[in-house]
Amino acid sequence: MRRSGWLGLYAVAYLIFLYAPIIILPLFAFNDSAVIAFPLSGFTLNWFRELTGIEAMHAALRNSLFIAVMTALFSTLLGIAAARAATRYNFPLKAGIMGLIMLPLVLPEIIVAVSLLVVAVQIFGMPLSAWTVIAAHTLICTPFCIAILNTAFQNLDPALEEAAVDLGETPQSTFRLITLPLVIPGIISSLLISFTISLDEFIIAFFLTGNEPTLPVYIWGLFRFPARIPVVMALGTILVAVSIILLAIAEYYRRRGLARAGQKDTGGFL
Amino acid sequence: MTDRNAIIDLRDVHKHYGEFHALKGISMEIAEGEFFSLLGPSGCGKTTLLRSIAGFEDISSGALMLDGADMAGVPPNKRPTNMVFQSYAIFPHLTVGENVAFGLRRKTGLSKSDKARMVDEALEMVGLVGYGARAAHALSGGQRQRVALARALILKPRVLLLDEPLSALDKKLREQMQSELRRLQRQVGITFILVTHDQEEALIMSDRIAVMFEGRIAQLASPQDLYLRPKSRDVAEFIGVMNFFEGGFQTGAAGIEMTAQGLGAARITGDQIMGSGSGTSCAVGIRPESLSILFEGETTSERIAEGVVDDLAYYGDMTYYEVRLDGMDHPLTISMKNRAGRPVLERGVRTRVAWDPRSLVVFS
Repeated sequence: MRRSGWLGLYAVAYLIFLYAPIIILPLFAFNDSAVIAFPLSGFTLNWFRELTGIEAMHAALRNSLFIAVMTALFSTLLGIAAARAATRYNFPLKAGIMGLIMLPLVLPEIIVAVSLLVVAVQIFGMPLSAWTVIAAHTLICTPFCIAILNTAFQNLDPALEEAAVDLGETPQSTFRLITLPLVIPGIISSLLISFTISLDEFIIAFFLTGNEPTLPVYIWGLFRFPARIPVVMALGTILVAVSIILLAIAEYYRRRGLARAGQKDTGGFL
Repeated sequence: MTDRNAIIDLRDVHKHYGEFHALKGISMEIAEGEFFSLLGPSGCGKTTLLRSIAGFEDISSGALMLDGADMAGVPPNKRPTNMVFQSYAIFPHLTVGENVAFGLRRKTGLSKSDKARMVDEALEMVGLVGYGARAAHALSGGQRQRVALARALILKPRVLLLDEPLSALDKKLREQMQSELRRLQRQVGITFILVTHDQEEALIMSDRIAVMFEGRIAQLASPQDLYLRPKSRDVAEFIGVMNFFEGGFQTGAAGIEMTAQGLGAARITGDQIMGSGSGTSCAVGIRPESLSILFEGETTSERIAEGVVDDLAYYGDMTYYEVRLDGMDHPLTISMKNRAGRPVLERGVRTRVAWDPRSLVVFS
């Protein structure tokens, strides 16, 4: 076999390894049996139907959506400020400060979760609630937002803003007329990605959520009841589908932003 | 200086960036309707000066008067200047027409049809009739340049500032835009201030040129004066090519006598001497086109020196010779038109070189 043949085989094996477990989800979500085992025993929508009747799960979903929306807003706002500063201004220790801001990207989440739990409960005496989760999720999402928004702001020629001011606009109207339209695709992309990260996140939510679990924490709890597992599979199927759709939309906006500014693609997450 | 009014008056302008002293006391006046160039190598402060006039940089000390008003603390959007940026800064999310009309947003008392007419006129002026609805990011470099010009000129500024506007264009387009910019400037009568590092471009386009080195104006003069009477050796070397000899001069009863290694002695006039130093150990300069090869059988009323052809470059219309005169250690550059009947000399042959004392410049 030629070398490229072996490489092709390796690539296929790699993809199977990555995605086969996820394909199991929809397979058993539509399988007409409470036992997770092959062979499959027929098609059903029962598990999805059952999802609609679990009130505790609906509460968890609402909780998760609230946390994800707030996290997306806060981390994108912080990201805009940081990306703007990083691409426009020079200040002492800039590289060190940016490095520290980006660090949560590689910190183990369990460490973040435990230390935040200690800070919230022992130092500030805060009761655990959706807000403690939001604070922690904002911490881990902000680096992603900065990475996306950095690209958006870097591709913005500083002369464009100067030209608008030169043509009579104030700094405020320049931001509205020039800066915002050119970076809005990056902002949308940042909102969607931080929303998705927060929605899926388990470890931090598990530690910091009070008696109102988020959806991933609720799902984890369901595993104690084997009869519920097909329902979890159905829920998982929906979550995977929503994540893929949101990330695809985010990437679409990132690329559209580049095309709009007439820039070359210099990377991104997808 | 012409007798027209000064539209810009700079008085001892300094600019510091921390430790870096970018402008070291610039004083000059720029006249209304003038095509003025700021010429110098990169880092000489020419762009800083232009951006200070536009209001994007605050000057550290001194005064900057625009149309009689002190510009201290006046932001760019309140100054009667408009700028054509090096990158053109065309708004990529707007159409050509929206780009050109951008500055009219703040003009009250103009109806929609007035504005549309003004945009059409501005596009016509730069040769882009019918381009109004095009997407701006789909334009070529030359077209972007024209849009940037139309966008700035539609506001009828007192001064148009151009920051290296032609540097991104290829040679042919650049030459075409040079003459077009000149024509446009005469047509609208607005003061143009051009920043460039290209001495040829500055000579072709400008009424007057300020040559800048290291934050100072080395010389402010018309293109001809700058070329023929450069005030310093630095200016002479930056504007075109100049050959240098070691030499000196003495002032006697019969006038000024100059001597130069390789050329010998000659009588010159006082206006050929630049600087106020002594007559010992000066640099004597002459331009390549003021020297000529004397081919076999040709005679001249000019002075003659002899030397050997070191090297040559044949350009088609011209031949550039490197000739080492007897008694000199470095060759001179001589440019010759390739007229009918003139041979192209070979390396190593001896030749006569004709020169005229009137074309010498002495830097003391």
